[in-house]
Amino acid sequence: MKQNQKVMNISAAILVAFTGHMATADSMVFTSWGGTTQDAQKKAWAEPFAAASGVSVQMDGPTDYGKFKAMVDSGNVAWDVVDVEYDFAFKAAKDGLLEPLDFKVINKNSIDKRFLTSHAVGSFYYSFVLGYNKANFKGTQPTTWADLFDLKKYPGKRTFYKWSAPGVLEIALLADGVPANKLYPLDLDRAFKKLDTIKSQIVWWSGGAQSQQLLASGEAPIGMFWNGRIHALQKSGTSVGVSWDKNLTGADMLVVPKGTKNKAAAMKFLAYATGADAQAKFATETAYAPVNPAAKAKLPADMMKLMPDQYTKSQINMNMNYWSENRDIIAKRWYAWQAQ
Amino acid sequence: MSADSLLASATAPVPKPKSTRWKGFHYLIPILLLLGLFFVIPVLGLLLRSVLEPSLGLENYKELFGSLTYAKVFYNTFLVATVVTLVTILFGFPVAWLMSMMPARWSALVFGILILSMWTNLLARTYAWMVLLQQTGFINRILMSIGIIDEPLQLVNNLIGVTIGMTYIMLPFLIMPLHSTFKSIDPSVLRAAAVCGASRWQAFWKILLPLALPGLASGGLMVFVMSLGYFVTPSLLGGTSNMMLAELIAQLVQSLLNWGLAGAAAMVLLVITLGLYAVQLHYFGRDKHGHN
Repeated sequence: MKQNQKVMNISAAILVAFTGHMATADSMVFTSWGGTTQDAQKKAWAEPFAAASGVSVQMDGPTDYGKFKAMVDSGNVAWDVVDVEYDFAFKAAKDGLLEPLDFKVINKNSIDKRFLTSHAVGSFYYSFVLGYNKANFKGTQPTTWADLFDLKKYPGKRTFYKWSAPGVLEIALLADGVPANKLYPLDLDRAFKKLDTIKSQIVWWSGGAQSQQLLASGEAPIGMFWNGRIHALQKSGTSVGVSWDKNLTGADMLVVPKGTKNKAAAMKFLAYATGADAQAKFATETAYAPVNPAAKAKLPADMMKLMPDQYTKSQINMNMNYWSENRDIIAKRWYAWQAQ
Repeated sequence: MSADSLLASATAPVPKPKSTRWKGFHYLIPILLLLGLFFVIPVLGLLLRSVLEPSLGLENYKELFGSLTYAKVFYNTFLVATVVTLVTILFGFPVAWLMSMMPARWSALVFGILILSMWTNLLARTYAWMVLLQQTGFINRILMSIGIIDEPLQLVNNLIGVTIGMTYIMLPFLIMPLHSTFKSIDPSVLRAAAVCGASRWQAFWKILLPLALPGLASGGLMVFVMSLGYFVTPSLLGGTSNMMLAELIAQLVQSLLNWGLAGAAAMVLLVITLGLYAVQLHYFGRDKHGHN
């Protein structure tokens, strides 16, 4: 009898705890790419947001478009806010995988128009820059994309982003002398022909950490990198040179998968993450630029010179709309060329 | 046991009485249900997509077989699997043979090393090879500092890197079945061969190899089939010109969201694997371990 009573008590306690939890469950899942960038997103956005709103934010990752689509297709959505590439955000909106944003909660006017659509809002904006290990380039130092393709002047391995994504083809065309305002639509034949000239010397990086490893170890002492990764290397004491000449900007976007069970919390999170304070804090951590112009005033002066938005003079915006429409065609040629 | 009876038992099937064949089958039902629910149905779902997406028909298969890129990927996949299987046999065969002749304590030690390496995280092992093999890596530095080479060798991001990394991972899967086959071979058979005047080579080719063939075939096939579908190691240690089928499927699913084509590629891989398995069953399967 006593034993039974105990069991009953425990069951009741569990039931209360469970239903009680269900009733006040205000939690959501934020998914991003992992590594130092997600650490910064956690510190600058998720933790203060949770403290301010009472919504607990769980971290998941890395972002995987296959998983994303599977969740939406099956109606079993475990992610509430996801950090994705800009061209994917375009395509996913078109394919009906995203919730439209609620601009009654998110302040549309505070965000740089370049990084705002009806279904996605900027996460942060980055630049592809030329980076090199100073130990390997003691004489004249490389400064332009053309230098990256110049095997005579700068022999040896160079490293590029492995996937069929915005960046590499643009760099090849710029190196070949295409003017910035004539980049799009991309001349694929010309780009691949230019890439052919250095193909044997290319080592591909498939993730940010790998790009850092290749550069720091001297395995591939020159290449194209996300500016934040270069910054992180410099911060860790590696002697890395960087050229911002014709840096290519793109952005990650924050989206809400269609069918999320925590839509209201997700919208509040987006509003918070794109706010001036949260953006400034994230930028200070990573050297990726804020998508909210008001955040600039809140940045420490020494951080300013590391941000892509300080190098706008020769800066080129990658055309993500073009990419989202042509990614499949480009991907086919890209992998065919790589596999040769 | 004489050589004759051994040979006979290795080649002739031992049919089991019909009544006992399905005995105890019902114990398997829960696990079959579990497999069916969480494995077979989702896999069938993906395979079905190959004829349903983007529209009903064989478009995906046409695309898969009609493109030079995908032909190259198929070629790479078979090339890597073949090379890895051969190299694994080359290194695994003598190790398994030595293990079967060592004192028990020593062979247990070698076994321990094999098991331990299998238990270590696959990614960690693959990254370790990356660090060892790269141009500024340990192996190149050693070779350069003792003056064997002047220029660093290209050991990674190509077929060499994939072969080294995958052979290392596959070795236990060959050595274990082979070792158990060797264990069951009576050493007096070889002595008898020597007494009858066979040279070492003759004893190897005419006695040892045929007796070891069932183990070699099952181990070799296991390595070959696993290599066909391998993902992590080739994608990290290989170059872009060595892309294998599994990496292509991952790309199609994760980045390009082209699940129809991915399903078709998976289907082709599955059919090839089942075909190979059927061949192996036909030749060696009926009495794979009949005598032990």
